[in-house]
Amino acid sequence: MGSGEAAGIFGDILDAVIVDVASEAHRAARLGFDRRLNTEEEEELRLSAQARAIVGESVANGDTSSKYTIDVFGQLHPAVASEIFECMNCGRPIVAGRFAPHLEKCMGKGRKARIRANANINLSQQRKVRSSPLPSYFPGGPTHTSVSSRTPPTQTSSLTPEDTQKSGLDPNDGTSEESHDDDDKGQRGRIQSGAWQVQTYL
Amino acid sequence: MRASINRPPTPDVDEEKRDEPTLQDIINIKLIESGEKENLKELLRERLIECGWRDELKAQCRALMRKRGRSNTTVDELVRNITPKGRAMVPDDIKAELLQRIQSFLMSVAL
Repeated sequence: MGSGEAAGIFGDILDAVIVDVASEAHRAARLGFDRRLNTEEEEELRLSAQARAIVGESVANGDTSSKYTIDVFGQLHPAVASEIFECMNCGRPIVAGRFAPHLEKCMGKGRKARIRANANINLSQQRKVRSSPLPSYFPGGPTHTSVSSRTPPTQTSSLTPEDTQKSGLDPNDGTSEESHDDDDKGQRGRIQSGAWQVQTYL
Repeated sequence: MRASINRPPTPDVDEEKRDEPTLQDIINIKLIESGEKENLKELLRERLIECGWRDELKAQCRALMRKRGRSNTTVDELVRNITPKGRAMVPDDIKAELLQRIQSFLMSVAL
């Protein structure tokens, strides 16, 4: 038992792999999409040696410490990507090399973003809780529309004035300075849009 | 209808020649059934690609086809030609790794 069979099995598997290689090379040649078939052998050797030389000499000269890396075609690449494009989340133009840290802040992995996200969630939760039972008691419905119209387009400090308004909420009135008698749905829609507005703060 | 009368005899005669499945066969069947043969093949393929064996062998194929003309060479010719080269070119450490895995498979099958 043992090594004899193992070698036999290995031979089997190896043969299968060889046949794969052969059939693939054959197919590429027959269907005409093997580019390398046409270039002479010597040329191929020369080209690959050339490419290796280009990389080799830059490494041998200790050039790897420079800001540019050189690839097998002889092209130079700066160490930090300098192309500018638009962030798909916030729309700002960002330098590619600085994209990852920007995304952290922008999309919410970082601390500040998470705090902001949590605050938004809490806010929208509070609004939903307070608005939903009331309309059934008061058909006119309390008018929370002021909240949405009042929310200023600047940042987190706006939360505190809203909170104090909320805490002073009467069952009758809430914080209405405008008194529309909207539908429940309309109100909810507006409150949700207000919450949506809050979320888009930067 | 006459043609059917002339068909070759049913292989009762051959039955005696065919042995019980050999040890090798049993091992092979177990290998394939468990899927280990496929795993081993994939592993070997990966290793050979990494070390450049495959590229070299393909270059050999190309050289052969350049010589004999692209449309003339058959897969068979290629296989026949490159198999001895391919077998010789396998690096020793890869061969050892595969053999070891096969061995442990054989042990685990507990023959």
